[in-house]
Amino acid sequence: MAVDTSGAYLQVDNLVKYFGDDKAVDGISFGIPKGAFLTLLGPSGCGKTTTLMSIAGLHTIDGGRIRVGETIFTSPKEGLFLPPEKRDIGMVFQSYAIWPHMTVAQNVAYPLEIRNWDQSDIDDRVAEVLELVGLTDWADSLATNLSGGQQQRASLARAIVSKPSLLLFDEPLSNLDLKLREQMRVELKRIQNEVGITSIYVTHDQSEALVMSDEIIVMSKGKIEQRGGPVEIYSKPVNEYVSNFIGIANLMKGKVVEVSEPGIGKFEVTQDGQTVQLPCRLTAGIAAGEDAVLSVRPENVHAVPEGGGGVLTGECIHAIFLGSYVDCRVKWGDFEWKVISHPRNHPRTGEKVHLRFDAEHTLAVQP
Amino acid sequence: MTTETLSPTRERSRTSNRLRAMMTQENLITFVVAIIVAGAVIVPLAVLFVSSFKVLDPLGWDTAWGFGNYVEMFTDRIIPKAFINTLIISSGSTVLATFLGVSLAWINARTNCPGRDYLEPYNLIPFFLSPFVGAIAWHNLGEPQTGLLNNLARDVLGIEGAIMNIDNIWGVIWVTGIFFAPLVYLFVVGSLRRMDPSLEDSARTTGAGLVRTTMTVTLPLVMPGILSGAIIVFVTSAGEFGVPFKLSAPYGWETLTTQIFSKAVGDDANHYLGAAMSMALGIITVFLIWVQQRYIAPRSFTTVTGKGFRPNVLDLGPWKWVAFGYNLTFIAVAVVLPIVCLIIVSLHPVWTGKIVWADLTTINYVKTLFWWRPEAISAATNGIGNSLILAFGGASIAMVMALVISYMIHRTKGFGVRMLDFLSVVPIGFPGIVLAMGVLVTYIQTPIYATLWILMLAYITRFFPYGQRNISSIMLAISEELDQSSRMAGASWFTTLWRITIPLLKPGLFAGWILLFIIFLRELSISIILFTTGTETLSVGVYYLTNFENEPLTAALSMAQTVLLLIAIYAFRRFAGREALTA
Repeated sequence: MAVDTSGAYLQVDNLVKYFGDDKAVDGISFGIPKGAFLTLLGPSGCGKTTTLMSIAGLHTIDGGRIRVGETIFTSPKEGLFLPPEKRDIGMVFQSYAIWPHMTVAQNVAYPLEIRNWDQSDIDDRVAEVLELVGLTDWADSLATNLSGGQQQRASLARAIVSKPSLLLFDEPLSNLDLKLREQMRVELKRIQNEVGITSIYVTHDQSEALVMSDEIIVMSKGKIEQRGGPVEIYSKPVNEYVSNFIGIANLMKGKVVEVSEPGIGKFEVTQDGQTVQLPCRLTAGIAAGEDAVLSVRPENVHAVPEGGGGVLTGECIHAIFLGSYVDCRVKWGDFEWKVISHPRNHPRTGEKVHLRFDAEHTLAVQP
Repeated sequence: MTTETLSPTRERSRTSNRLRAMMTQENLITFVVAIIVAGAVIVPLAVLFVSSFKVLDPLGWDTAWGFGNYVEMFTDRIIPKAFINTLIISSGSTVLATFLGVSLAWINARTNCPGRDYLEPYNLIPFFLSPFVGAIAWHNLGEPQTGLLNNLARDVLGIEGAIMNIDNIWGVIWVTGIFFAPLVYLFVVGSLRRMDPSLEDSARTTGAGLVRTTMTVTLPLVMPGILSGAIIVFVTSAGEFGVPFKLSAPYGWETLTTQIFSKAVGDDANHYLGAAMSMALGIITVFLIWVQQRYIAPRSFTTVTGKGFRPNVLDLGPWKWVAFGYNLTFIAVAVVLPIVCLIIVSLHPVWTGKIVWADLTTINYVKTLFWWRPEAISAATNGIGNSLILAFGGASIAMVMALVISYMIHRTKGFGVRMLDFLSVVPIGFPGIVLAMGVLVTYIQTPIYATLWILMLAYITRFFPYGQRNISSIMLAISEELDQSSRMAGASWFTTLWRITIPLLKPGLFAGWILLFIIFLRELSISIILFTTGTETLSVGVYYLTNFENEPLTAALSMAQTVLLLIAIYAFRRFAGREALTA
């Protein structure tokens, strides 16, 4: 069994969960410090929600161990399973799960009633939390009379009212419309900052993850692909999967031909008889002579005039004006480069285009 | 050394930790309920199956194993005829009920028939009343000598002889067909109402007339519902005891149920032969229910588009008054006529087929209801008290069970859930009289035999699935996250059930409770097998009076039962939606 040596506040070790014969979560481990905001990001079926449910105790797990603070939540090997109600967790559900037979205030007061607070303390605390989420005027309305965004706020209020040791979010914004979703991201982050509760946030929406998180774990098929801060995940994806899932990237198979110093080398790609060697950064663990994948964000590919340092030449097959930028496709052999250009100076459809790359932002990643 | 001495204790503490982790409130309660349900459903059916292979020797002293009972079913003088009569009755009442049910549902859901919003509750009333009482009422209406309608025809219209004779196999079909028409109605009316009207409109635009559109578009679209309803009617008619017992058995048309009854309690009692006949009846009904559940019910939603709430109905023109008259006639024949007849008969000291205004008396109600009076007939007066105890207690226990079972099926993923799902369909496949035979042979030598408990056990076992379906339909509609969020808020499983799940399920719980209350209040075919002196129910009281006393006394107790049922129906309409019925 993996030994829990970290000083992390929440520690997940070797978590395994089966659904029938399917391994939904395949031995993942991570720890987070107190007060942090961690996002589990991935497509549906990647195991992120299963991981969250395991931490919540709404699933039993088949292997591994989950600890928060000094308390072991679950560890099948030791025969330990703390029921969900004993874990002191606040949770915001995808459907909000606001009880329709109670008012907003009754919903929010519920966790405190369960904890046998005095009625006057409950009233004070509920008022305080409703103020924090901006629902003071709605305290006595039935939950069913609220809009989606308001139900979400009520759900958040109920999750934080008892000052739990951990806050879990299961795709809380996915049922809201786009505009409200963008507004609620900021709001959620503000409230989490204010209450300072360690939080785990599950989403399939990469921009949500980038905006809100201190740290992101990208998951796929029950495993962790990469962990890092939003900037790191975006600018230094370690493999093809992460490059592709976060943002947009030009991805092309090729070979590392040279390693000049640790982490820096040259990458060779061949298309339609043309072979080009591009200076690039190497993801840890890739050696010279190995197959790898080239990953370049469209904003890091530059269309330049003849003699402007371009290393390959293609043909612009379309250029779409999108206000603040122009989205171009440059055909090079069978490959189409996605290129973002400035509206004042961009290639036209049918033109010959020369492409320049920055070594700093050209990555060779694991396939 | 230290590790060696320590390791066994650690092992033990791990095992006990694991045990303690499994001993949650949730697992404990669900496990106990699973055992109870399995015991209640499986044991009597298994004992019934085994008993059917015990052959009683001619003197009734000893038994031997063998297929003798099954052979006797074919060689007996009466049983093969009873078998055929059952098939004729079931087929006939299925045809009649399906015709009535579909036509009434179509009139109410798809046409501009006047007053259709007010007619529906009355169309459904026969569904809640006792078919046995219906048979008694029709006997008093249509018996050749003493039937009220025959006498009216002679006196008023001057017709010689009788205009009808209800006391035969056709009378059984008539009464069961009318009483089970609402079953078909309920299966069909929902999908007719939700059907996208543009499906009919587009048929009309191609030039098809009203009749053609209805026959080629509307009815085929709701065919799964019609078939489901027809199968349920066939199965229910095959298991119906009261109607053939009253109308056909005394006149030479025995059925399987009346034969099972006579093998259970009659002079020629032979429980093992009764068990074999029950098996035969049970196999037929289980097979049909299986077909319905497996192949027909799942298709019934495909006809519905989901939208189409456009209140667009067919304009029947002047024919709408014909439809209106047809519907009123159904209500008159199915509800009003029998009840009026029972009231008239119950007010006569003896019934000769004619109303004698000078003789009107309430003595029959005194004898059958006022248990403190010396002239009271105890077999009748016991009924109301016993039936109310069984209905209140049985409905309450059954709904608690139904709640836990639905919770397990829809909210836990653990072991035993599939078995529970299966167990809560099985009782629907067995007619009450078959299950009662199983309960009889299982418990006859135990202390609960000859108590109300055996009746309650059989009632609950047979009918809890109805309550369970009421709850399940609501449970499927409410998100599991509502429960989960309560657990996350720190509430235990039981607190969550009490404060969140049950309040949300309240409409379903209440509808299911009243439905079971009504079913238990009129129950006959289980009670008739399992009652003894002192544990008579309302329907058993009616059976006793019609068998050993006279028609006016029978009519009085029948009216008392009918009034109780009408009150319960009113409560049901008041507090539960129409949806609750379609379970």
